[in-house]
Amino acid sequence: MPGPTLFFSTLMSDEARSIARGVEKRDPDLLDRLIERYQYRLFRYLVYVTGNKDRAEDFFQETWIRVLERGHQYDGKSKFEAWLFAIARHLVIDWQRSKKPQSLDTLTDPHQEHPLQLANENDPSPLHQILSQEQEENVQASLEKIPAIYREVLVLRFQEELQIEEMVGVLGIPLSTVKSRLYRGLEALRGALQRGPA
Amino acid sequence: MSADLHTRANQLNAQERVEGISEAEREWLGAHMQECMLCADLARQTDQALRWMRTTAIPFPSGLASRTQFRVRLRAQELREREPKRRALWLACGVSWIFGVASAPYVWNVFQWFGQRAGLPKLVWELGFGLWWTIPAFFAAAVLLMESSRKGEQADWISQGS
Repeated sequence: MPGPTLFFSTLMSDEARSIARGVEKRDPDLLDRLIERYQYRLFRYLVYVTGNKDRAEDFFQETWIRVLERGHQYDGKSKFEAWLFAIARHLVIDWQRSKKPQSLDTLTDPHQEHPLQLANENDPSPLHQILSQEQEENVQASLEKIPAIYREVLVLRFQEELQIEEMVGVLGIPLSTVKSRLYRGLEALRGALQRGPA
Repeated sequence: MSADLHTRANQLNAQERVEGISEAEREWLGAHMQECMLCADLARQTDQALRWMRTTAIPFPSGLASRTQFRVRLRAQELREREPKRRALWLACGVSWIFGVASAPYVWNVFQWFGQRAGLPKLVWELGFGLWWTIPAFFAAAVLLMESSRKGEQADWISQGS
């Protein structure tokens, strides 16, 4: 019976369209509500991709400024969060490019060790410091060992629960690449879990 | 048990999470998991790790949301204030263009008269006429460049401290 599925997907697309209208008009009340609604998810995503809490805070603010400025580019055809994460991701990549112009390739080449640069693995990373309050030290250590480019797809798929098609929009890469990164990410996670905490 | 079977089990485990697997594959995987503790353990650990990712709470910095809301409102106000100026700029460009087209024959005559009087080669006063036409466009481009460089300076806070 397609009833509930159809109902929820219509509801979601109606919501996305109303968000699109609001952000296009730069409705400040809507933006306030959106900031509150997506604050944890966006911040968590930024912590994972930057590996740095302070940096994540900066990017958090800058992402919402971009949402305000580029609101007219959101058409409401996809989930708002997918567009939001795409903006955040582009900001991080732009910053990394301006910081390290000689390593452009590392941003797009998944075979490079740290395409989205994180703190030195030998040091206790800021990500570790943030997450260390949690009980699952083993899982946490395993996640930290995964190259950022694979961790990012795992985060988007299994933490933010985005569909693979939505991830294509966020990451700006072909569907087949998203899938292969997911497979490699899961493989890396499995390998890290097998090896256990260092 | 051969290594191929474990590899297939691992592949199916990953495939199930990414694209889904067929009923027959699920049955085979279930049967393998019952026999192989190693694969079952690994699948359970992976499940646990992915579940942990979903449920983990990263402490959200206090005041970040309200600081962001404040900045966004401030920027929105700035953009609203800038909008009429931008509209006025385009309007002025449009009007000057229309005026330029309407007055082109007269301006041409003026340039011709001045060129002949000053004894300039035809190419020079024709070039002068062409440049006269580009002045509004240059003016608009200069204003837009100034605006974007100011915006660039404002965004510099991100690269600072890196």
